[in-house]
Amino acid sequence: MKFRGKIMDVACLNHFTRVITTISKLTKMCVLRLTPDNLFFVLSGKVANGGVSMWCELSQENFFDEFQMEGVSPEDNEICLEVTPENLSRALKTVQNAKAVKLKLTKKHCPCLTIAAELPTLSSVSRIVTHDVPVDVIPRRLWHEFKEPSMPDFDVSIYLPPLKTMKNVVDRMKNLSNFLVMEANLNGEMNLKIDTDLVSVTTHFKDLGNPPWGDEASQDRGPSQIRDPDAMAQTRVDIRKLQQFLMGQQVNPSKAMCNIVHERVVHLILLHEDVSLQYFIPAVA
Amino acid sequence: MDCVLEGNAVKAFGKAIHSLSRIGDELCLDPMNKGLALRSVNSAHSAYACFLFSPMFFTKYCLGPDQGSEKVQCKLLMKSILPLFRCLASIGRNVEQCQIQVNTPNDRVKIQFFCRHGITKTHNLCYQDSEALQAVFASHLCPNVLKAPARLLGDMVMHFPVYQEEITLSITPLRVSLRNYFEGANDHMNIMYTEMSLHPDEFDYFLIGVESDITFCLKELRGLLSFAESHCLPVSIHFGAAGKPVCFSVDDMILEATVVLSTLVNSESRGPSQLAETAPRCADVVSESPGEADCRTAVPAAMEMIASSQGSPITHLPALLLLPTCTEPPHYQEEAHTTPASTLCSLLFRALSSETGEGLPVLVCCSEEEESEEEDVMRSPTL
Repeated sequence: MKFRGKIMDVACLNHFTRVITTISKLTKMCVLRLTPDNLFFVLSGKVANGGVSMWCELSQENFFDEFQMEGVSPEDNEICLEVTPENLSRALKTVQNAKAVKLKLTKKHCPCLTIAAELPTLSSVSRIVTHDVPVDVIPRRLWHEFKEPSMPDFDVSIYLPPLKTMKNVVDRMKNLSNFLVMEANLNGEMNLKIDTDLVSVTTHFKDLGNPPWGDEASQDRGPSQIRDPDAMAQTRVDIRKLQQFLMGQQVNPSKAMCNIVHERVVHLILLHEDVSLQYFIPAVA
Repeated sequence: MDCVLEGNAVKAFGKAIHSLSRIGDELCLDPMNKGLALRSVNSAHSAYACFLFSPMFFTKYCLGPDQGSEKVQCKLLMKSILPLFRCLASIGRNVEQCQIQVNTPNDRVKIQFFCRHGITKTHNLCYQDSEALQAVFASHLCPNVLKAPARLLGDMVMHFPVYQEEITLSITPLRVSLRNYFEGANDHMNIMYTEMSLHPDEFDYFLIGVESDITFCLKELRGLLSFAESHCLPVSIHFGAAGKPVCFSVDDMILEATVVLSTLVNSESRGPSQLAETAPRCADVVSESPGEADCRTAVPAAMEMIASSQGSPITHLPALLLLPTCTEPPHYQEEAHTTPASTLCSLLFRALSSETGEGLPVLVCCSEEEESEEEDVMRSPTL
């Protein structure tokens, strides 16, 4: 198994660092899958993380000037590593002004992802900084747990309001309740509701717009099942999970949308030019 | 003592106190003829810092009639003085003048801030008399000397996380490198190893007498580094082999700051180090390591080594703290497993009175400036 990548452009390095910092805010540990064309950061939905799962896909050529990898075997040309994204984020944040940053899979005291940066200095010789981030290699028999999630059979798909606004609303609601209901319909309306013994608060968002695939999905179901555009699909989720997702966002996405499967799961999708992030929050009873 | 500071000097004074607060819980004010010294030492006696402000730093600097000759040392709690200088930005905006007076009769240090809009804030702090506390360190005897331009060290330590306790500095003729240090076989998954290396050209001055790896506490140094950076002062580093203390200093015309830190004797930076549960006597250490031909062994039985500041147990210290010099055997790495005492050698606080004599080996020797002053060793606190 081999992996070597080199980032030489400062904007790419910056963007890459911000993506990793976003991931580090969402989860303490995740799996990094390397293929010849992509990098994936995967969190599989286990009871331990409250059933939340995440899938983040980066196209390697948008970030790396050089990228070579050799997977476990020619048929399984992939590398799967368990890593603490915060370590990667910390290592990358300190080398933002580097001339070049190399990432390599190495074996030191344990398997490591080594980040080696060449920093500019006043003298002729560059300064070299190396960070060895320990990783755990995931064996092939567990790879099935980290497959790309399929698009759920959602009831409603809607574009999200500005994330900052949503975050402010959710932050205030968190003080009042542990659970929040997200509901939306095909008319571009979304409500965030909390309901406790003392108080209930609802924030209404209008004219959000619905992504086009929403129509195709309901057409597939046949004429008898065309969804009433005003009917709300809702899911009750743990408010902290939603807040964690909103807090971590460092970059404004080009598109942000949400698929709701009634009383099952909220599927949040953020699309940037070269990165896509999907986050699944399961419903709570 | 009565002194007055104005303008930016108040901020610099406050910054010095911030740096000293990283070292210990108590601050010693030592008014001397050559200036006002602020000193602090950590509880394990493995770190010492001193900021000496010359009389030119002050708008007015007067010693009382009973000072200068009879050392009046004021020991203040860091907790009482640090809050006065906590917010440097607001001091810079509001404080026009600061007056510090030490009144021996009533055991008070009076600090007055004369602020804008005619506001005067007066603080009376109680102090304890204490004996002079000073680490004497012979920088001129150190084989390795580096002088780093102001931002260099700050840029280097920035790569290490804030919670990083100890780092290892290695020097060879070709490069200087820093790496983080962890003791014990910890949970590997969480430890990120960081290393960086610099070319000798990056330093204003580079002198290597002996190749060495020294491991010392980074946290205690950060205060001085941030002070140096804010004043754009280069930092000088004097050190020798592992086990000997390392001295970081900055100076300009009107002030000098020094931080002396002890270093690990066994500075295998990546292997587990065994910090001894009890501090062994040097004589015992020497007999178990036959290769240490250089170790000066003429030590009286009263000596004990003091364990590191990083949470290892500290044994009771006798009134006179004289430390053995355990110079590194040439192949210390191979012998590490046989040497049980991989402890931090502490600093020396030595009584310069004549009874102790010159025959006793000490970890840090007299430096020339201190020879003229006779000071008693500060009684160490027992824990």
